[in-house]
Amino acid sequence: MTEEHIKLKIRASFIKILEHENFTLNNETTADDVDGWESITHMMIISEIENVFNIKFKLMDLMNMNNIEDLIKSIKASIN
Amino acid sequence: MNFIAHLKSSIKKHSEKNAFFIGATFYSYTDFAIEISKIRRYIANHVDDSEKLIGLVTNDDLQTYASIIALWFEGKAYVPINPASPIERNIQIFDITEVKTVIDSSEEPLYNTYHIIPSKKLQGIEVDLDYKEINSESLAYILFTSGSTGHPKGVPITFNNLESLVDAINAEPEFNLKPSDRCLQMFELTFDFSVVTYLFPLLAGSCIYTIPKHAIKYFYIFKLINEQKLTVLTMVPSILNYLRPYFSEINAPHVRYCSFGGGALHDIIAKEWSACLPNGKIFNYYGPTEFTVYSGFYPYHKDTHTKALNGIIAIGTPQKNTKYLIVNENNKEVPIDSVGELCLAGPQITPGYWKNEEKNSTSFFYYETDGGSDRYYKTGDLCLKDSDGDYLYSGRVDFQVKIRGYRVELAEVEYHAKTKLKKKTSVIAIDITNALGNSELGLAIEGDAFNTDYIMDYMKTKMADYMMPRHICFIKEFPHSINGKIDRNKLRTHFKSLNKA
Repeated sequence: MTEEHIKLKIRASFIKILEHENFTLNNETTADDVDGWESITHMMIISEIENVFNIKFKLMDLMNMNNIEDLIKSIKASIN
Repeated sequence: MNFIAHLKSSIKKHSEKNAFFIGATFYSYTDFAIEISKIRRYIANHVDDSEKLIGLVTNDDLQTYASIIALWFEGKAYVPINPASPIERNIQIFDITEVKTVIDSSEEPLYNTYHIIPSKKLQGIEVDLDYKEINSESLAYILFTSGSTGHPKGVPITFNNLESLVDAINAEPEFNLKPSDRCLQMFELTFDFSVVTYLFPLLAGSCIYTIPKHAIKYFYIFKLINEQKLTVLTMVPSILNYLRPYFSEINAPHVRYCSFGGGALHDIIAKEWSACLPNGKIFNYYGPTEFTVYSGFYPYHKDTHTKALNGIIAIGTPQKNTKYLIVNENNKEVPIDSVGELCLAGPQITPGYWKNEEKNSTSFFYYETDGGSDRYYKTGDLCLKDSDGDYLYSGRVDFQVKIRGYRVELAEVEYHAKTKLKKKTSVIAIDITNALGNSELGLAIEGDAFNTDYIMDYMKTKMADYMMPRHICFIKEFPHSINGKIDRNKLRTHFKSLNKA
């Protein structure tokens, strides 16, 4: 799966949970940059991404996930 | 005030120790003492002695915590407002309490029409912890909760109320904080649970670990537990629902105490969580804001103390100097094992809602016994007392609904639904009004839709027909109040839109 493909799927998960498309996801994007991305929606986004990619994140990775780049790294590590 | 004297001596005694860990920075008790001294010096020089209620913007920084202690040492009360709340609501709170002065550590203060104390910009390094003489009936804080009339409802707590809380917790041999303890403080300072998570560690010389406002709360808590090796956790049970998928990765043998409060603790999740804390004692605390945070607890243990009603862990027994009374609609005591409204009496009871005589006349009453007369607060919580003397939570007075004339406890409907539910998710039973104006039961399930026939089939075997939910609504994310409790009024609107469809 290419990084672009992963990003598209991540974006779809964000749209599904946040119910809006008013955001751009770059490597540096954090919760501060996206409307509605906060503690509770973050948990739901993570759960949605786990379902979409059929993976299970490690709590250790989630604990240190600060931006989209970290998220993509964890997904790549899980699907490989 | 003994607890004020103890605060002073603890801050002095532990001057070399860390008091706070805020945003990845440690602050010592000396740092804390300097901030307290700067703020109280400013108050002494710029705020009239007669001005007792001071607004406090609750930022996550040392100055905000120092402000609370500074105000207490000056014999004043804090009226906290959350900077993330609508500004109109916060101003409404200041109007109700006639606050003139606001302590605000923000870079750009928002409340410029008030006399602002910019706590982060004050100068000085001298320490002065000599507190003023404090009248025990003076207020220590006023917290606001949402009111049924749409206006925030103020709950004032006196220094004597707080003194009694500290006295009761100190009398409990099972719970003793030490200077070496590292304690979680995850609550907004506008939520009463925060009082125990900063006050008790400060009295013991422990270190307090806060959650930055922008952090993903649930993972940050784990990060603190894991990296900082926290020893004392105080949480609302809803946190566990979010961490639950990852319980198998959590092993925290360093946690000594884990206290829950502010919501129902379910036995299944408590058992799973206790496996993550092999050396931790779990306390299920009970207590409303009106009774100064805690009124009693049940010492949960996955093997020996698992008493529960409808899957909700018992709330145990009242603490020192607190009396529990379970009454019927006429404020008369009900027999053992009978459900009624739990009422509380003792020195931790609030003097009454702030300028709200109507609410005070219905929420408080005097009850005569052989020993005299006590003033009780009606909690709105339905409980029963069992033959061991333990109290068990059954539901809310206002969550008891009548369907076709029959009484239905919503907690019971939820319990049966959850028992059969394959997916671990939140379920809320709620009363909704149909097109004919009659009450019906709805079942709200958090998450994506799925076939619920198997749950309904099971529930039909457990409950009378009138107790069966008539509507099922899947909601991606349950609406929560600022304190993390599920907002049932907002939840109800989902069923309205469902009915329209």
